Amino acid sequence: MSWDINPVRNNINGDLILGLCCLIFATLVLFVWIPLDVESGVIEKVRRRLEIGDSLAPSVAALFVFVGGFILITQKREASDQRVLLSGNYKYLSILITVLAISLILMRYAGPLTIALVNLTQNESLEYRLLRDTVAWKYIGFFLGGSLMVSGMISQIEGKLSWRSLSIAVLAVIAMILIFDVPFEDLLLPPNGDV
Amino acid sequence: MGTFDYIWMGVLAVFQGPELFSVFGYSVSITLAMILFGFLTGIMVGATPGLTGPVAMAIALPILISVFGYTTAALLPVMGFLIGVMKGATVGGAVPAILFNTPGTPDAYLTTLDGHPMTKNGQAKKALRIAHFSSVSGDTFSDIVLFVCAPFLAILVEAYLDLPEKTALLILSLSFIAAVIGGSPAKGLISTGLGLLAVYIGTGEDFYPRLSLGTEQLSRGFPITTAVLGVLIIGAVFKGMEELWQNKRESGEFNTIEDSGDQRLSFHEIKRLFPYIARSSVIGTAIGALPGIGSTLAATLGYTVGRRRYQKTKSEDSLDFGQGVPEGIASTEAANSSVSGANLIPVLSLGIPGNAAAVFLILAAESIGGFNPGPAVFKFTQDEVNPELVIAFGLFCAMFIANLLNWTIGGLFMRSMGVMIKIPKHVLLPVVLLLTLTAIYVQETRMEALLFALGFGVLGYFMRVLEISPLPFVIAFILGERLEQSARQAFAATGNDPFFLFTNPIAAIFMIMALGIIFYTSRRQGQGI
Repeated sequence: MSWDINPVRNNINGDLILGLCCLIFATLVLFVWIPLDVESGVIEKVRRRLEIGDSLAPSVAALFVFVGGFILITQKREASDQRVLLSGNYKYLSILITVLAISLILMRYAGPLTIALVNLTQNESLEYRLLRDTVAWKYIGFFLGGSLMVSGMISQIEGKLSWRSLSIAVLAVIAMILIFDVPFEDLLLPPNGDV
Repeated sequence: MGTFDYIWMGVLAVFQGPELFSVFGYSVSITLAMILFGFLTGIMVGATPGLTGPVAMAIALPILISVFGYTTAALLPVMGFLIGVMKGATVGGAVPAILFNTPGTPDAYLTTLDGHPMTKNGQAKKALRIAHFSSVSGDTFSDIVLFVCAPFLAILVEAYLDLPEKTALLILSLSFIAAVIGGSPAKGLISTGLGLLAVYIGTGEDFYPRLSLGTEQLSRGFPITTAVLGVLIIGAVFKGMEELWQNKRESGEFNTIEDSGDQRLSFHEIKRLFPYIARSSVIGTAIGALPGIGSTLAATLGYTVGRRRYQKTKSEDSLDFGQGVPEGIASTEAANSSVSGANLIPVLSLGIPGNAAAVFLILAAESIGGFNPGPAVFKFTQDEVNPELVIAFGLFCAMFIANLLNWTIGGLFMRSMGVMIKIPKHVLLPVVLLLTLTAIYVQETRMEALLFALGFGVLGYFMRVLEISPLPFVIAFILGERLEQSARQAFAATGNDPFFLFTNPIAAIFMIMALGIIFYTSRRQGQGI
C-alpha cells in the first residue's frame, strides 16, 4: 500500500490550517498559559521601582507566533504549494515513535531488571546503582536498547526484519561504546546517570 | 599591547600550545593536530550522503570537551577541530554531487547540474579538481574579509551602541533571520517565536520557574544541546529516514551508484575559470556576512550570474550550463564556500550565529567558557592582555591553517573519498540518531534530556514537512536569554522608559528596519514576487 508523504496538494489550504493553529496556540499562550503559569506580570513594581517582569519575554515570543499565523492566513492563502501533514507522515511517525519508545524503555530498565533476575535466581543482593560503572553491567541497557533502536529503524525503512540489520546495529553500538565509554572515565552511557 | 602584539599572541597560542609530539625537534601542538584531524573528518563527512558538517560537530563536541576539559586551554583545540570540520565538509560536499549525482545539501544540487554530466563524460577527476580549486579560492577570500571586517565591526558596535541599541539590534537580527530564511517571513516568524518560547520555559527571575507547569522536569528549562541537536540534527534524520521509507515503498529499492572517469586541470583552464570564481566569491561573501542567509541562496545567485556571463562569452558550439561545463561548477562551489568564512562575521563581531556551523562554535564556546563571541571580544586593551582577543586571533590563525591544508592536501584527500557513497543512507541515519542521542546523554546524564531531544526532533520533523525553516528556531533559542537580559538592563538604564526602543534614534531606526523587513518581505510574497 502506498502512503502519501509528499504534501503538495492544491486542494488543501495548508497555510490556512497552519495559520489558524498558530493563532489558537499563541492566543492560548498569551491568555491562559502565561497568566496562569508565570509569577510576575509584564511590568512589575519592585521596591517602588518599575522592572520588566517574567511575562514580557514569553508574551513577545507568543506575539511572533501570532503575527506569523496572521500573515499566513491573510497573505499566502492563494499559494499553490501549501504543505500539510498527510496520513503517510502520521503512519511513519507513529511507527518511528513506537520503535524509539520501546528502545528507550529497554535501555532504561534492562540493566536493573537483569540485576533483579540475577538476585532472584542466584540468591544474591546486587544493586544496579553500585554496578553502573562496572564493565559488562554498565553496557546492558545501552547495548540492548541501542541495538533495538538502530535495527528497528533500519527494519522500518527496509520494510522487513533481517539479521543483517541486527548485526549492523550491534556493530554500531559496540563502536559507540568504544568511542564514548572506553577511553573516558568520566562519561556515563545511557541510562547510567539516572539509575 | 598593540594590534600586532595581539595577532602574534594568537598565532603563538596555536603553534606553541600544549605539545602533542615533536618532529626533528620541532613540536607539533595539539591545536594544529586537531585542525588537521577536524579538516580530514570534515571532508569525509561532507563526502558521505546523509551526513553534514553540523552533524559531525554535534557528535564530536561532548567527546572533545571530555578530552580537553572545561578550561580556556581547551578552546583552541576544540574550536580548531570544529573549524576544520566546517571547512572540510564544505569541499567534501561536492564529491557525492559530482560523482554520483547525489547532492548532500540543497546548494550541492547546483553542483550536480554540471558536475555529474562531466563525470558521465569521463571527466570526474577534473570536475572534482575544479570544485576543489573554486571552493578553496572562495573560502580563502571570504576568510580574508572576515579577518578584516569582524574586528572593525565589533569596535564600531562597542563605540556607538548602548544597551537600548543593542537590544534593538538583536530584535532586528531576529526579524531579519525570520524574514529571509526559508523564503516565507510568516513561517520564519513562527519558527522564531517557538524558539523564543522554548528558551523562556523554566527560566526567568521569579522564584517560580516560569511556564514550567509545576513540573520538576520543566523547571530547569530545556538544555541548549537538546533543543539545538533535536531540531537541527534529529529532525533532519527523521525527515531523511521518511524519504527513504517512502522511496522503498514506491520503487522497492534504493538508488544505485555509477562509476567515474579521469582528467587534469590545466593552468590555462584555471585562468579561464578565475573570473567566475572571483565573481561568485564576492557574491557568497556579501551574502554570508548577513546573518541567517545560507549558502543555498549564494550558490543560486553565483550560478545564475555565472550562467549570464557564460552565455555572453561562449562560442556557438560550446556546451551550455547544465550540460557539464567547468564554469558551472566553479560558479556554484566558489559562491557556497565563500559563505562559510563570512558567516562568522556576525558571530564574532555581534555574537549572532548566522548558520548551523556557527551555532556549534557558539555552543562550544558556551560549554567550555572563557570566550563569549560578541563585540566585547575585540577590546584592544593596552595595559593588560585581553585573553578573549588572543583566542579570537587564534581562531583566525586556525582558519588560515585549515585553508592552507585545504590548498595542499585537501584536493588529494577529497578525490579519494568517492568510496563514502557506498555507505547506505538507510543504515547511516539510524546510527547517526543513536550517536546524537548518546552525545546528548553524556553531556546531560539524564534520560529526560533524550526525551526532550526527541520531542524537539519531532518538532524539527514537522517544521521540515511544513517547510518551516528550523534555523530561526535555533538562533532564537540561542539569543533569547540575551535579548531578555539586554532589554531588562536597557529598561533600567533608561530610567524605566517603556519606549526605550523608540526614543533613541539608532534603536528606533533598527526597530523600524525590523518591522519594515517583515512587512516588505511578506508583502512581496503576498504578491507572488
